[in-house]
Amino acid sequence: MRNGNAAGTAQPSDHIGGWTVALLRLAFLGLLMFLWWIASIYVARNLIPSPLETWEAAKQLFAAGRWQDAVRASMATYGSGYLAAAAVAIPLGLLMGAFNVLGKTLEIYVYALSATPRVAFIPLIIVLLGLGFEAKMFIVFLGAVMPIIINTYAGVRQADADLVEMARSVGAGRFRIFTQIVLPGALPFVIVGLRLGATIGLINTVVAELYTAIGGLGGLLAVYGNTFRMAEYFVIVLTLAGIGVIVTEALRYVELRLGRWRR
Amino acid sequence: MTSAPASRNLARARRSTGAPPQLVLDGVAKRFRRPDGTLITALDGVSLGVRDREFVALIGPSGCGKTTILRIANGLLRPDSGSVLLSNAPPEPGPGAGFVFQSFRLIPWATVRRNVEFALQELPLSRKERAERALHYIGLVGLSRFAESYPGQLSGGMSQRVALARALAVEPQILLMDEPFASLDAQTRELMQMELMSVWERQKAMVLFVTHSVDEAITLADKIVLMGSGQVLETIDVELERPRWTSALRSDRRFVELRDHLWHRIRELVLSDPQSDFYGRDLA
Repeated sequence: MRNGNAAGTAQPSDHIGGWTVALLRLAFLGLLMFLWWIASIYVARNLIPSPLETWEAAKQLFAAGRWQDAVRASMATYGSGYLAAAAVAIPLGLLMGAFNVLGKTLEIYVYALSATPRVAFIPLIIVLLGLGFEAKMFIVFLGAVMPIIINTYAGVRQADADLVEMARSVGAGRFRIFTQIVLPGALPFVIVGLRLGATIGLINTVVAELYTAIGGLGGLLAVYGNTFRMAEYFVIVLTLAGIGVIVTEALRYVELRLGRWRR
Repeated sequence: MTSAPASRNLARARRSTGAPPQLVLDGVAKRFRRPDGTLITALDGVSLGVRDREFVALIGPSGCGKTTILRIANGLLRPDSGSVLLSNAPPEPGPGAGFVFQSFRLIPWATVRRNVEFALQELPLSRKERAERALHYIGLVGLSRFAESYPGQLSGGMSQRVALARALAVEPQILLMDEPFASLDAQTRELMQMELMSVWERQKAMVLFVTHSVDEAITLADKIVLMGSGQVLETIDVELERPRWTSALRSDRRFVELRDHLWHRIRELVLSDPQSDFYGRDLA
C-alpha cells in the first residue's frame, strides 16, 4: 500500500502472531491448572477435586458411556432448539426491519419478552408440553430466539442510508437494495445475535435438563452435585465450558470469514 | 477491451435519438418538512439548463439547495412544482445519470470491480460484458491494479476515483457531482480535478458540479450558476481558455476578477443570511 490511510489500518506494532497467542493461552491454562491443584490441596473436605482425580473420573465416565450419552442428549436438545430459534428469528428480524410497520408493532413485545426471565415460563411450558424432549427444546428455543431477533432487526435498521441512496441513484429497486446493501450490512449484527443466542441456548439447555425430566449433562450435574461426587461434577462443568467455547469460536470464525473486507 | 468501444457506440446511439441531450429545470420548487413540523424551502423557482457537453458548476453558501437540484436531476426527488426534463423526459434514477457523492459511498464489502459493476446491473449487459466494462473504466481512472481491492484498502483520492469510474461506467447523459473533492486534501483535490477534466474531454457528457470552492468552479466549469436561499442569483459564462491549471491563467486578470466577484457575492450572502453562523458579522 502506498498511501497513509492503508498504512494506518495495518499497525504492524500492535500485531501479535497467532502462535504467540496460542502459546500464551497454553501458558495461562497451565497457570489455571496449577491454581486448581493448589486449591484442591488447601480447600477442606474434598470440595475441590484435584486435576488428576478429575481426569480419572472423566476416564471412568467415558468408559461407561455415560459421558457420551449425556453429551448426545444435551446436544440434541441444544442443537434442535437453537436451529429452530435461528430459523424463526432471522427471517422475523429481517421482516421487522424491512417493513417498518411490522417492526414498530412487534418490537415492544420482543423487548418485553426478552426482558422477562425465561425461567418464569418453565411451569407453563411443562403444563403445555410435558417434561419430554419438546419441552426442553422449546426452553432452549425461547432463550436463543430473542437475541437473534433483536440483533437481526437492529442490523437491518442501521442500514447505511448513504449507501441506500447511492443504490437508489443507480436505479436499483427495493429488492436489490435489500439483498445487496441492507442484508450484507446487517450480517455482522446477525452473527452477534447468533453468538448471544448460542450462549443463552446452552444455559437454557442445562436449565431445561434440571427443571424437566432430569437428563443429559444438566441431569448429571444435578446428580453429582447433590451427592458431592465433585470429580465427576467437575468433568461435566468442564464439558459444558468446552461446548460453549467450541460453538462461539465456530461462529467467530464464520464472522471473520465473512468480514474479510474489513482488514 | 473489445466491448467498451461497442458499448460506447450503443450509448451514442441512445443519445442521438431525438434532440441533443440536455437538462432543463423550469421554475422548480421544493419544500421539505423538518422533524419539528415546520416547512423549509429548499428550492424556490429555480430555472437552469445544462446543454449538451456542457460543464456547469453550482456554487453558493451551505444550505442554498444545490444538492437538492442534483437529487431532482437524478429523479431521486420530484419537484413540488415546475418541471425537470433530461433529454425531453422526466428523469428517473438509473443509468441516465452518474452520481458522484462527497463521501464516496462505496460498498465496503465489495471489491472495486464489484462496486463499479453494481451500477451496471440496471443495464442489459451479460455478466462478462459487465466485468469488462467495469475494468475498462477502472483502468480509465488508473486503478487497474486495485480492481480486486476492497475500499477499506484505498486512500480518499483512490476511493473517489472508484466512485468516478462507477458513475462513468453507466455512460450517463449527465454526471451529477456533489462536492466530490471536498473531503480530499489540497493536492489530491487538484489532481482529481485534472483527472476529471481528462475524462470529461474524452467522454464529453454533461456535468452538473456542486462545489463550495470558487477556484474549483472557475477552473472546471463552462458556466457558473450562483445560488442563494433556493434561487438562482446569477449565471456566469466562463470564457477562459483550457486548461486552466497554469499559473499564468490563474493570475490572469479575468480569472482574478471573476474570483473576486464570486467571493464577494458569496460572502455577502452568508453575512446577510439570518440562518448563517456569520450573520451580521463585520468581516470586511
